Amino acid sequence: MFRVMLYSQWKWCRLIVVLGSVAGFALPLVSVQGAARADSSPLQAGELLQAVQSWGTLYPVLAAALGLLVAIATWAPDHRGRHVHALSLPVPRWRYVLLRFSAGAVLLAAPILALSAGAVLATWSATIPAGLQGYPVALAIRFALAVLLAYAVFFAVSAGTARTAGIILAVIGSVILVQVVASVANVDFDLLGKLQVAVLNWPGPLAIFTGRWMLIDV
Amino acid sequence: MSNAIEIHQLHYRAGRTFEIKDLDLSVPAGAIYGFLGPNGSGKTTTIRLALGLLRPLAGRITVLGDTIPENAPHVLARVGFVPEQPHLDPVLTVRETLRFQAAFYPAWDWPWAERLLRQFELQEQQPFGRLSKGQKGKLMMLLALAQRPELLVLDEPTDGLDPVVRRDVLSALLDYVSQRRATVFISSHLVHELERFCDWIGVMDNGRLITAVPMERFKNGVKRLRISDAPPTPDSPPFVLLAREPANGTTETWLVRDWEPQMTRYFESIGAVVNDVIDLDLEEGFVELLRTFRSPRS
Repeated sequence: MFRVMLYSQWKWCRLIVVLGSVAGFALPLVSVQGAARADSSPLQAGELLQAVQSWGTLYPVLAAALGLLVAIATWAPDHRGRHVHALSLPVPRWRYVLLRFSAGAVLLAAPILALSAGAVLATWSATIPAGLQGYPVALAIRFALAVLLAYAVFFAVSAGTARTAGIILAVIGSVILVQVVASVANVDFDLLGKLQVAVLNWPGPLAIFTGRWMLIDV
Repeated sequence: MSNAIEIHQLHYRAGRTFEIKDLDLSVPAGAIYGFLGPNGSGKTTTIRLALGLLRPLAGRITVLGDTIPENAPHVLARVGFVPEQPHLDPVLTVRETLRFQAAFYPAWDWPWAERLLRQFELQEQQPFGRLSKGQKGKLMMLLALAQRPELLVLDEPTDGLDPVVRRDVLSALLDYVSQRRATVFISSHLVHELERFCDWIGVMDNGRLITAVPMERFKNGVKRLRISDAPPTPDSPPFVLLAREPANGTTETWLVRDWEPQMTRYFESIGAVVNDVIDLDLEEGFVELLRTFRSPRS
């Protein structure tokens, strides 16, 4: 059962998975290459950290994009068929959802492994200046967690009906409206700021996406 | 198990306008039950409720001895379902679709599936999304039959198919039924098609089941009578008077249900004369039944 589900999802996700794997593999290598000098002289600590940090902003973006696209592609065949075929299969709904989720998660292993390989290769091939260290495993684990978190969130959202999506959009719209009304009325009430702190700062649920994503650090 | 499907006091509402209320329906085991009704009458909704695809507000549904929706997965493993629209994954090829389906059905019969694949002349490597309507219809029937189901639930399986494809699909269905003595619950608005092979008929309109009788009784029991000298209010007739229309002079046309030849005596007792008893085919009977249900005139 899982095998056919995995194959079905592979047909929907293969382009995303292949491009994501290429990007995941290339990103660590490019971030280290960004600090390389034209005359092939040794890497400078400051320049290396700067290059790694600036390229590092792309890791959470890639993780979120992969999670979003694979989650959408995972439900695409069922949404197209208005879930009639899925519901008429002789498996409990929870098991069907679990099969879909697991198949998507397995497919996401490819870009995670590609990024891990790229990170290991980048730190192994670069001559890291004294005082700095490579963290390929930590980066790969963080990337894996971020990808799976994004996938889980978007999987849950896209599993719902148009009504569910409407409710989520209405909640977001209401928050923005409250903020706009508060600022028009000169009320000192920073709802968006508080939400941002609660969600994106540790121990917020999306804290993993923020902060510095450093392949090489002190 | 005397009934393959039993629905009791079913209540379901979709939006503000459509409602199925107090629906009672029984499909005898081994029967080929034709489920007739105009578009929007509630046939598809009833089927989806019966298979646990929708949740009723009230009522009890039993399919193959198990309650729905509680035991839906167990029931669905023994039911072949052809939905009104073919809702399969468009990127999977015919062969991949078979493999996908086979993984979910313990009784899947590969040799039978291969035989049907050849019989229907389906191209294995063609994606489902690129099949013609007729090919999709054949594939849907193939999937339903290769599961070796005890019950086939077919929601307008031949709608929009050309006569050749329709014949292929229906003959495969009848082959299977004759071999396995499976129950078939088939909805359609193509009345003449059901007339050929159904042994039970249920007519649905506006979320209600108007009638459910054996086919022979339906065909033989609905008659148009030409009556002379009928009294304005006939006293407790032994048949169901569906409609009554003046013809010319003292002659009237009566549309009746549950008619039997010996009932002509009733007219003698009320001083009327039966001039003619006209047989209606299933389509005429169906149309008259709907007309009467929607605007009772008698």
